[in-house]
Amino acid sequence: MVTLTIALRSLARRKVRMILIALLVLLGTILIVFGETFSLSAKKSSRSAIINYFTGDLVIYSDKSKEKPSPFSFTTPLPPVPDPGRVESWLARNEYVDAFVSIAQNYGILSAERDGRTVDVPFFFYAVNPGKYSAMFSNIVMKEGTFYNINSGQDSTVSGVVLSTFQLKNYYKNYSIDLRPGDAVRLLSLSDGGSVNAVSSRVIGTYEPKYYRNVFNYINFLDITSYSRLYNFTGVEASSMPASFNNALTSESDEDIFGLAQSGMDKLDTRQLVASDISGFSIIAVRLREGADARAFSDALMKEGLGVKAAFWNEASGFFAYIAAIIQGVIYGATFLIFLAVVFILMNTLIINVLERTGEIGTLRAMGAEKGFIAAEFLWESFLLNGTAALLGMAASIILITVSGGSIVLPDVLQQYLVGGGPLILQLSVRPFAEAFAIIIIVSLLATLYPISVATSVTPLKAMSGN
Amino acid sequence: MAENHAVELHNVRKEYLLGQTKVEALRGVSLAVGKGEFVAIAGPSGSGKSTILNMIGCIDIPTRGEVIVNGRNTGGMTDKDLTRYRRITVGFIFQTFNLIPVLDVYENIELPLLLQNMSDPKERRTRVMHFIEETGLADRIGNKPGELSGGQRQRVAIARALVTKPVLVLADEPTANLDSATGTKILDLMSEINALEGTTFIFSTHDSRIMDHARRLIRIADGTITDDEKKGS
Repeated sequence: MVTLTIALRSLARRKVRMILIALLVLLGTILIVFGETFSLSAKKSSRSAIINYFTGDLVIYSDKSKEKPSPFSFTTPLPPVPDPGRVESWLARNEYVDAFVSIAQNYGILSAERDGRTVDVPFFFYAVNPGKYSAMFSNIVMKEGTFYNINSGQDSTVSGVVLSTFQLKNYYKNYSIDLRPGDAVRLLSLSDGGSVNAVSSRVIGTYEPKYYRNVFNYINFLDITSYSRLYNFTGVEASSMPASFNNALTSESDEDIFGLAQSGMDKLDTRQLVASDISGFSIIAVRLREGADARAFSDALMKEGLGVKAAFWNEASGFFAYIAAIIQGVIYGATFLIFLAVVFILMNTLIINVLERTGEIGTLRAMGAEKGFIAAEFLWESFLLNGTAALLGMAASIILITVSGGSIVLPDVLQQYLVGGGPLILQLSVRPFAEAFAIIIIVSLLATLYPISVATSVTPLKAMSGN
Repeated sequence: MAENHAVELHNVRKEYLLGQTKVEALRGVSLAVGKGEFVAIAGPSGSGKSTILNMIGCIDIPTRGEVIVNGRNTGGMTDKDLTRYRRITVGFIFQTFNLIPVLDVYENIELPLLLQNMSDPKERRTRVMHFIEETGLADRIGNKPGELSGGQRQRVAIARALVTKPVLVLADEPTANLDSATGTKILDLMSEINALEGTTFIFSTHDSRIMDHARRLIRIADGTITDDEKKGS
């Protein structure tokens, strides 16, 4: 192992130079690990934040919809999911589904009393099954009142509105309305046809969103029963109607409908009719179990013929996924620049380190050393130095990330779009370390073999001259 | 090529650029050195002595002409062949010693044996110690080149060239840094090896002692052989 001996002695002989190179490699490793950890954490956190706080893994919506779902589909709500009961029943049976919640996104008018006068204010809301919503999304921090008595042990069928504190402040600022839990309000719906419906309700709570304040500050909540009444989504169970009525309602052919009129309709006994909530849900957010294939799930859903289709989380999050992707792109770009700078500096330093010893290479060649012998000597040297420095750099990265609390505070606007708010939590994973080590080894390999190939491509005499 | 020739040079020319100036180091040198010869090449500085040794040792290539070693034209040999020739056939004593700075005296002398894959450590040690004794380096065995005088380094370079028992030793001013007694001792050692092993020695030198020892003296000036004298013939 004379090559190893020469390598070790060469390292020891040029201590100061080698320590400087090792520090450079160590610093480069930290930068690569940190940059890559930052990029990967941003990507993972962004995805999980959107999935965990407002879309789930995918969002089911009517296949008649021309628009993709979005957290902002209030003023132009998507068409209602046809027969959401069937879809929910299918979801409940599906082994890959962890949780789901049906949501109706809409807007209306909220009427409140102020100094004996009625004031109408805009009211954007999600109408949800509160229990299912709370089980799926943990983004609600109640400030006053209750979120439909969920987790309180009390009646969870309570109806009413839960307002965001941001919205409340705006109501007060713009309309001088100061609403508190228990206050009576009147909700007005505006249909496409211009009709207006009204439902009496009351404020049952106020909340602040934990994440994605720039979305949820504008979103209030309404129980689904009130919503159905507000938009006349309460109907009649088909099974309680005579067959001729069902035929007339389900037929799409004009001839069949007029034919029924001629053949006579059954007599309708209103006492036999059973009320049914149609609900008006426009989307169903679905969270899949760990490791489930979202695309396969979507394909299976389409095959069921439920009149619905699915949008993946990044398609259903409006522009949030796009902005998060742009921010991630910038982070990746910065990481790549760091990577290039590290590689460039390292490459040059290591190449110079070998080229300075061209004379030694020439002497070995003149003595009849094979190129492999020379390469082995310098590779030992390079791997011992750079490999050790890279390992130390990786250890230093772990310490730095741990000591820093594993989080990075970014400007609030970036945090909001990237991870829904709060600092970016750095998630340690094997990949950045493996990549950093691989990069250092590859750079060491190239930066050693290239100058050796140059030094051995000339005559030994020329190499010995050091030129 | 005659079978008893260790080396032949046919009309060898060597030109190189010194800045913008073209320098002709050799201007058509033709030469044949027989196996077992003890040859000195003498001439003033810059006359082309070292260049001839570099050509024969295949550490440099001629601009024109042919260098024949082991019966083969070096121009047609692969890099691997040339490397093998340098490793097995030649022992080169460089004017500037060219020792490996991180290896001590023992290791520097042992290195050519390791390059030849001499696997028996006992045999290696015996061989190395023999030449350490012969060159008077026993008390410097663990010293690095940086801790040695010029003369001591030269002796290490000589021992390193001889340790593999090559068939051809090329020595570029081998006694330049040696005192008179040591120089004489080293020359005696080389003469002995030449006599016992039949090793061919080619020296470039200014040293009259080497010229006296040599059985053939080639004089060179301005890249041209001006005299080729075989003593006793």
